[in-house]
Amino acid sequence: MNTPSLPDCRRVLVVDDAATVRMYHRQILEDAGFLVVEAINGIEAMEKALSDRFDLYLVDVNMPKQDGYGFLRELRSRDLPQAPAIMISTEAGPQDKYRAYEAGANYYLIKPIKPEVLLSHCRLLLGMGGRV
Amino acid sequence: MTDIAISLEEFRKFREFFYRKTGIQFEDSKRYFVDKRLSERIRQTEAGTFRNYFTLLRFQVSGEELQQLTNLMTVNETYFFREEYQLKCLVRSILPEIVARKKTGDVLRVWSIPSSSGEEPYSIALYVSELWPAINEWAIELISSDIDTDILGKARDGRYSVRAIQNIPPALLQRYFTPIAPNEYRIHQELRDSVEFTRVNLMNPLDTSCYRHFDVIFCRNLLIYFDDLSRRKAAEVFYDALNPGGFICLGHSESMSRITSLFRVRKFPEAIVYQKPELP
Amino acid sequence: MALIKPQTPFPDAQFPVAGVDSLADLLTTLNEPAPPARRWAARNLAAFTEAVPDLLAALMQETDASVREALLISLTEIGNAEAVAGLVECLRKEDVVLRNAAIDAMRSLPGAVAPIMKNLLTDPDADVRIFSVNILESLRHPDVEQWLIDVIGQDPHVNVCATAVDLLGEVGSSKACTALEALRSRFPDEPYIEFATRLALTRIREA
Repeated sequence: MNTPSLPDCRRVLVVDDAATVRMYHRQILEDAGFLVVEAINGIEAMEKALSDRFDLYLVDVNMPKQDGYGFLRELRSRDLPQAPAIMISTEAGPQDKYRAYEAGANYYLIKPIKPEVLLSHCRLLLGMGGRV
Repeated sequence: MTDIAISLEEFRKFREFFYRKTGIQFEDSKRYFVDKRLSERIRQTEAGTFRNYFTLLRFQVSGEELQQLTNLMTVNETYFFREEYQLKCLVRSILPEIVARKKTGDVLRVWSIPSSSGEEPYSIALYVSELWPAINEWAIELISSDIDTDILGKARDGRYSVRAIQNIPPALLQRYFTPIAPNEYRIHQELRDSVEFTRVNLMNPLDTSCYRHFDVIFCRNLLIYFDDLSRRKAAEVFYDALNPGGFICLGHSESMSRITSLFRVRKFPEAIVYQKPELP
Repeated sequence: MALIKPQTPFPDAQFPVAGVDSLADLLTTLNEPAPPARRWAARNLAAFTEAVPDLLAALMQETDASVREALLISLTEIGNAEAVAGLVECLRKEDVVLRNAAIDAMRSLPGAVAPIMKNLLTDPDADVRIFSVNILESLRHPDVEQWLIDVIGQDPHVNVCATAVDLLGEVGSSKACTALEALRSRFPDEPYIEFATRLALTRIREA
């Protein structure tokens, strides 16, 4: 995959308890020129979010200790520079989508995610246009 | 004795597992460090192969081997002003926030566990005495506990090697320690008297139920050696021990993310610490 | 300096030490309005296996995180078949927090979970099957690898298979290779499956 590196590096926090999923998303995002940081659940994600600036959050729903909804709600309630968030889940009901938006997600994607779908949504939310 | 060869994929497999369990992440550059220690444990457990050892590690109910391995993988030395950034955090950020909520005459309470041979509680005492501007306006109780009565005895005795005190600035050393032998210093009586040492088994409710109304808890490099259920139980003990809004500091490679969501993550300029939610 | 030794024995706990209250009293306290009271009751009920139904009932409706944690710890400590059956029911609830907490608890109960695992892996609800594979992660049982191989061979749901592949990368042996290769042809349009199976195969083959 040869995509040109983007002019200024956007930082993405990938939050998922499954190592393989984090690796998969990392590969897609790094190949597209993003800088990726990982966290295994909402608590670790908060530690990272408080310590570094992120331009985008990719957040799984089901994680031990603190799930994606809990993390997003807390993120949105904190006095922090905010950034868009894509919530990612295996679940597909309409309730799940509304719950995600209510918690503070900007978009909701269902796993497994195809690379072009992930990238186009990331770019869209970062105001980079939807071109893949 | 030849080391057992560990392949790159085995290293990666182990690394992911260890990160999931402890939060400790090994860079590729630490491969030699990790492989060497894995080899050692494979030998000592007579597992024979990485695969057998990894199975043991993953599934042993007591979690003893994981604890043993974690011990090997982490640096366990205790000395004065270890992880000093947390002591700085205490005096620059944590205590000021706590006293802002207190009334004149309130007593501040700090719990340091495990005490080990006393380096940590005495470090807290020294730091607070010398480096907290408001020390003369507030009374602080400093309690430090350990499960091991021998080590508590050593802590009360307050004798330390040159190695243990090497991070203490000379002015403080001179003011609070007396050289008593070529390689030994003793901390002054007034500091020894300022810490209450107690025997506590964190897993025994009979020991812990009367530990209450603390403002700050230091529990560094202890929980990392516990299994999952014990960590959660310890976290509950600390939750009950703290006042609403009280803080707990873990070791620098430890995180509540592997333990419990009961505490709120707080980031100060010096450190990340965890806070019991304040009353609504 | 203002460091002072604690003047008295530490302030009394609001509630007495464990073991002094009867089961009946504890069950009453479990319904108190104040969270510290409920938490104290939840913790001390760990000594009573008869309390499992009440602990489960309380868990299903508890809103305070600290009480929920105490209920889960007690249920884990009792950890019998009845407790596990109740935790399985939590997997079916809409409450995400409850579900994930139940998964966590079951991970600490490999012995009690093993006998029902086979059923869980073939549950009609795909989400329950996903959660069950998650729980398998800490299960030591001679059949774990075969169960995972069966899942990726037969489960119609891509995410159940994806979760199983992840685990096979960690616990799989050469026995799993054929099934992993076959999985790619079952979901030829899923780049994630391609990625995950390739990773699992690498892990297995180069170990």
